[in-house]
Amino acid sequence: MIARGLRANLAQKSLDVRGFEPTIMAAGTRTQESGAMRSATAWPAADTAPPGGHSGAIVRVSALQKTFGDLEAIHHLSFDVADGEFLSVLGPSGCGKSTLLMMIAGLIGPSGGEIRIKDMRVRGPRQEVGVVFQSPVLLPWRTVLQNVLFPIELLKLPRPQYRRRAMELLQMAKIDEFAAMLPRQLSGGMRQRVAICRALVHDPSILLMDEPFSALDAITRDEVAVELQRIWQVNRKTVIFVTHSIREAAFLSGRVVVMGRRPATVIDELVIDLPRPRPIAVTEDETFNRLVRHLRKAIEASHAQ
Amino acid sequence: MRNSIGNRAASIAWPILVAALLLLGWEISVRTLNIRSIILPPPSAVLEAMAQRHDLLLAHLWPSLYLTMLGFGLSVVGGVLVAVLITYSTIIRKGFYPVIIVSQVIPKISIAPLFIVWFGTGTMSSLLLAFLVAFFPMTINAAMGFESVDEDIHRMARTFMGSPWQIFWKIRMPSALPHIFAGMKISITLAIIGVIVSEFVASQEGIGYLIKLAGGLLDTPLMLAAIAWLSISGLALYAIIAGVEGWAVYWQPPSDAVGSGGG
Repeated sequence: MIARGLRANLAQKSLDVRGFEPTIMAAGTRTQESGAMRSATAWPAADTAPPGGHSGAIVRVSALQKTFGDLEAIHHLSFDVADGEFLSVLGPSGCGKSTLLMMIAGLIGPSGGEIRIKDMRVRGPRQEVGVVFQSPVLLPWRTVLQNVLFPIELLKLPRPQYRRRAMELLQMAKIDEFAAMLPRQLSGGMRQRVAICRALVHDPSILLMDEPFSALDAITRDEVAVELQRIWQVNRKTVIFVTHSIREAAFLSGRVVVMGRRPATVIDELVIDLPRPRPIAVTEDETFNRLVRHLRKAIEASHAQ
Repeated sequence: MRNSIGNRAASIAWPILVAALLLLGWEISVRTLNIRSIILPPPSAVLEAMAQRHDLLLAHLWPSLYLTMLGFGLSVVGGVLVAVLITYSTIIRKGFYPVIIVSQVIPKISIAPLFIVWFGTGTMSSLLLAFLVAFFPMTINAAMGFESVDEDIHRMARTFMGSPWQIFWKIRMPSALPHIFAGMKISITLAIIGVIVSEFVASQEGIGYLIKLAGGLLDTPLMLAAIAWLSISGLALYAIIAGVEGWAVYWQPPSDAVGSGGG
């Protein structure tokens, strides 16, 4: 099963050698967009073609279903993700959001329906996807830089070229001075930033994040969330962010998809059109709290059923 | 940093002090109680025997050490290879692994006479017994090590399309290293026991043979001198492994590296 997925991907790999820009946009560019909302964040529905004339959805989940034995974890789940969008999948613990993400990552297969990335059916892990897990899962025997370069080794990409990119990513995440340190010498927040850099190092177009801040304390969470927003603005990746934190979803996302209790399906969808970059103080604004309330009600409604 | 060096010095100094006091107590009690040298010679007499008859002692020590290291080396290679098979083959894991674990309860030393019957009184019996006793803890520890890989790490590697070969060398092997070293520390002491017991049973050379011979001659100082040499060698071999471990498993805090020896 796994082997099949790997083989399928080997073929995929050769098709997907895209040009890659080693330099990351300078942080200064973000100021240009800070006033105006990014178009991607404002698309009301995924079916609408994004401005700029690109093909519509980069990720398309349709009629997805997953059963474990008798248990139906995901039931007829459909949503699209636009190129460059920051989408959160919000839902209570154990509602199958992680399962969903693992299916998009190609680590597990669906029981029904399909997932398409760039119009190709997901049959296994793909190079254009980077994943950040709940825990940083760094290799303890590798330095920070070696950890970030790990995907490059696995994917057999030219190391010297990506070394520079890795350093730039670390710089962007403000942890470049720890490049030569071992993971155990870092704090939890720093480790998760290393994991984010690792997921981005091979320049994937899609970043999947599975409750990446759940192991962090509240203060570090906010800090890393602000960092993630900045990294996203600089890199313009499509992000699918799975979380059970309403506040986190509202703060980070352009759009939030709410999943209900098992069997999970989409019960609500909300566009968050707050201007970026959003400071953490935005979470105290009335507009923000109205959005949070809306999301909370949606989740509560699903519980009441 | 200074503190850790201080702690380290203390952790070495205290046991040495206690050992010195014990030896001193031994020396004094033997002298004051007038215990005959045949029963229990004082440490000074043992030291004297060690110095005076070092030719004899070393001549018998080398073959034993050689066989110990050879048996140990084979057990490490064999143990790790079998552990790899256990990790990657369902049949071996489900069929052989439980047998290996259950066979742990057999006191393998008791097989020594049987080995003499099969392989004669030469070095082959000693080598095989050393290998046999050292092999099992090595295999079990290595297998545990290969299995110890975090499921999330495995997943992470798969999302980056790591091949099984890459996953083995870049993830499983380093993850298993601390366990492998823990196994090596157990195996080296067992390999020494294997060789000595085999030499007790039937052999014309080796430190085990010498201990038995000296016992037969009621030459207790020589016996104790041989035991002392054996202990020192065992300690040295263990220290070498612990040293290599500290270097190879550099990512673990030193305290852990010491603690893993218990396994």
